[in-house]
Amino acid sequence: MFNRVEAFVRDVRELKTEEALAEALGDVSLDLGFRYFALTHHVDVRQDGASIRLHNYPTGWAEWFDDQKLGTADPVHRASHLTSVGFAWSRLEEMISLTPRDQHILALAKKEGIGDGFTIPAHVPGEAHGSCSFATVAGEKINEDQLPLAQLVGAFAFEAARRMGRLRDPCPPLPRLTDRQRECVIWAARGKSDWEISQILGVSHETVIQHLKQARERYGVGKRTLLAVHALFDGTIAFFDVLRR
Amino acid sequence: MVIVEQGISDVRERSLLRSMFEARKHVFVDLLKWDVPVLDGRFEVDQFDDRDAYYIIVADEDDRHLGSARLLRTDRPHILGTLFPELCNGDAPGGPDILEITRFCLSRNQNAADRRRTRDRLVSALVRFALDRNIRTFTGVAEMNWLQQILAFGWDCRPLGPPRLLDCGMIGALAITIGPGTPALLAGNGIWEDEELTAIHWPEAA
Repeated sequence: MFNRVEAFVRDVRELKTEEALAEALGDVSLDLGFRYFALTHHVDVRQDGASIRLHNYPTGWAEWFDDQKLGTADPVHRASHLTSVGFAWSRLEEMISLTPRDQHILALAKKEGIGDGFTIPAHVPGEAHGSCSFATVAGEKINEDQLPLAQLVGAFAFEAARRMGRLRDPCPPLPRLTDRQRECVIWAARGKSDWEISQILGVSHETVIQHLKQARERYGVGKRTLLAVHALFDGTIAFFDVLRR
Repeated sequence: MVIVEQGISDVRERSLLRSMFEARKHVFVDLLKWDVPVLDGRFEVDQFDDRDAYYIIVADEDDRHLGSARLLRTDRPHILGTLFPELCNGDAPGGPDILEITRFCLSRNQNAADRRRTRDRLVSALVRFALDRNIRTFTGVAEMNWLQQILAFGWDCRPLGPPRLLDCGMIGALAITIGPGTPALLAGNGIWEDEELTAIHWPEAA
């Protein structure tokens, strides 16, 4: 079966369109024992709609899912942010606390014929995130032996989608902050006011206001909360910088 | 500056090598909790750090380590062939034009943006080194949580076998094909930084 995955990796490099990728992914999924696959790729949080979503879920389920705008509320999607290696959906309950709405979504998926699933999260720090999921038909068990191979297929499929996304929408260069702006953003993320930051850094109140104003302009955002979130997302500041005491 | 060193006789003899082995201890022992030997309580040095190992080191202007990788010959004992042969579907690739990337290490005292830049310089230097010496393939053992990032450099990767779940996490073996087109693939992902490599401490040709 590894030969099958090798062939997929080789083929996928040459693919040019999302349709071709979906077809190749559908074929290899079947060989690994999965009736369904779903690949999501958010190219850039700063651009609305520039994302790739490929799947072969039953039509009814996919439409319902889109109608409810479930993309980011989906419990599988949420769990995929907590790990960097693949996880079985049977482990969801250990990973995140499932709300009644989550339970409802999972029950509906089952009703539409979707069985056990395995999701490979995909994060490229500062840039792309998403996941690749594989699912059986309801009632069929996952073949555990194939999960390491599914992990590989998911990672290479995601990279192919990322490459296609970049060709379509080249990523704009990341905003760059000066060291002083960066320090101000870290303190702002820790909840300090402009005046408090000025006291901590030993500069004037006005200087801090200017640093943060320019940093917001570089990111094209109007609020300091959003500035902190963007700077965390693209790695300009790290969670460690903000959370350490 | 990017510096290439080959071989070590005493890790304590040069400050740059010292700071590299210290950074390796900080990353692989203190942070990632690998079960690998530590020398003098400060330096992470193992049996593959010998006179045939190459070190590609990105250093700051004061000759301090920012990032480094160790390249091992695959026609001699190396990590994939010696410690993890079961990660390959067949024999571990070996030969004079294949090197194994090991101990890819970025100093922890850099902020995220600087670490990213060091990473880009280091990846570029590895490719420059390969192109200069007619190395056609890099192999390597990687934890699966790094796989997506390694693929996202844009170079030509393929798996060598199914990943395995070991005590240290899920790990797998990769091969990366290096050729004249590799710099353009890296450049397409904003990674490529063409820098001259400074070779230091070359031993007499044996």
